[in-house]
Amino acid sequence: MKNVDKKKKNFSFTLIAVVIGFMIAIQFRTVKEPEVRDTRDTWQLRDDILKENELQLKLIREVQSHEAKIAQYETELKHSKEQVLRDTLEELKVEAGLTEVTGYGIILSIEPVMEDLLIGKTVSNVSPDLLKRLVNELNMYEASHIAIDNQRLINTTVIRDINNETKIDGHSIKKLPFEILVIAEDAKGAEKLYNRMQVSKSADEFFVDNLRVKVIKPEGRITIPAYQNSIRIRDMKPVDPEKGGNS
Amino acid sequence: MWLPVLGLIIGVILGLFTDIKVSEEYANYLSIAVLAGLDTLFGGIRAQLQNIYDEKVFVSGFFFNIVLAASLAFLGVHLGVDLYLAAVFAFGVRLFQNIAVIRRILLTKWTVNKEKTEKN
Repeated sequence: MKNVDKKKKNFSFTLIAVVIGFMIAIQFRTVKEPEVRDTRDTWQLRDDILKENELQLKLIREVQSHEAKIAQYETELKHSKEQVLRDTLEELKVEAGLTEVTGYGIILSIEPVMEDLLIGKTVSNVSPDLLKRLVNELNMYEASHIAIDNQRLINTTVIRDINNETKIDGHSIKKLPFEILVIAEDAKGAEKLYNRMQVSKSADEFFVDNLRVKVIKPEGRITIPAYQNSIRIRDMKPVDPEKGGNS
Repeated sequence: MWLPVLGLIIGVILGLFTDIKVSEEYANYLSIAVLAGLDTLFGGIRAQLQNIYDEKVFVSGFFFNIVLAASLAFLGVHLGVDLYLAAVFAFGVRLFQNIAVIRRILLTKWTVNKEKTEKN
């Protein structure tokens, strides 16, 4: 009986001892973050500083060499044929109308004549002939980039009538009013274009079709979107270097 | 007698090997709890040596002291008075007393044993 009692006593004692030990260990870990003491003397510190300085020097040299390499690559890239080709391609893309263009220009707003609407006349679509004439006139006055109803005009653009709908490269103009964005060479060119369009003949011709052309000169630059469709070239082939190119 | 010591060592090792850390705010509570635990442990040893050991008193004392000390510290934090110092003081004094009693008992036991062997 006494033996059993002692065993039980010992067991509970041990259990509580384990708990206390656990608590002490945790408290120790919490309070005493093992701190590493710096026990180096002056000379050791000097040595260490020297070492670090050397490392720094090495790193700086590495950075310098990398920078020199970058500069070298850049100059090589500038003078390389590839860059020339890339530049040319970019220029051609701008010229062909495959990029967004921002610049000074004017906005032509084509809208139905309100007075005629009151009388009861219906305003039909704007005819493709009129648009073509207007575009020609704009080109004559040195417009660089044109977009009709946000559809960019390029060299191969066709404006035509399909089933009584005026289409510009597949984009049909159904709603009135719409806008024609025109970008000129520069701010001066835009001014000139504006003045010329004020007294344009095609505006009168639009009026015959019950449409009014309003010429607006925006304050800042305007942006013309890029041509969205792909350009199809049917009748052009690359020159065969074997046969041609001897000249 | 060696079993509780082994338990203490096992507990310390367990605590060092598990990656448990108490955040700074609760370190106070834990320190008080540790003190209470130590007090109970030494009280238990003393009681055993004096042959007045009662398991119920021991186990209940352990938990009750810890809870009491922790709640005193908690109250102190919220009242803005360092009440946990009272617990530290009380447990410290008791710890010293207990250890002194244990020492005296062991000393008398040792002298008695020595006398016995000399007589023989």
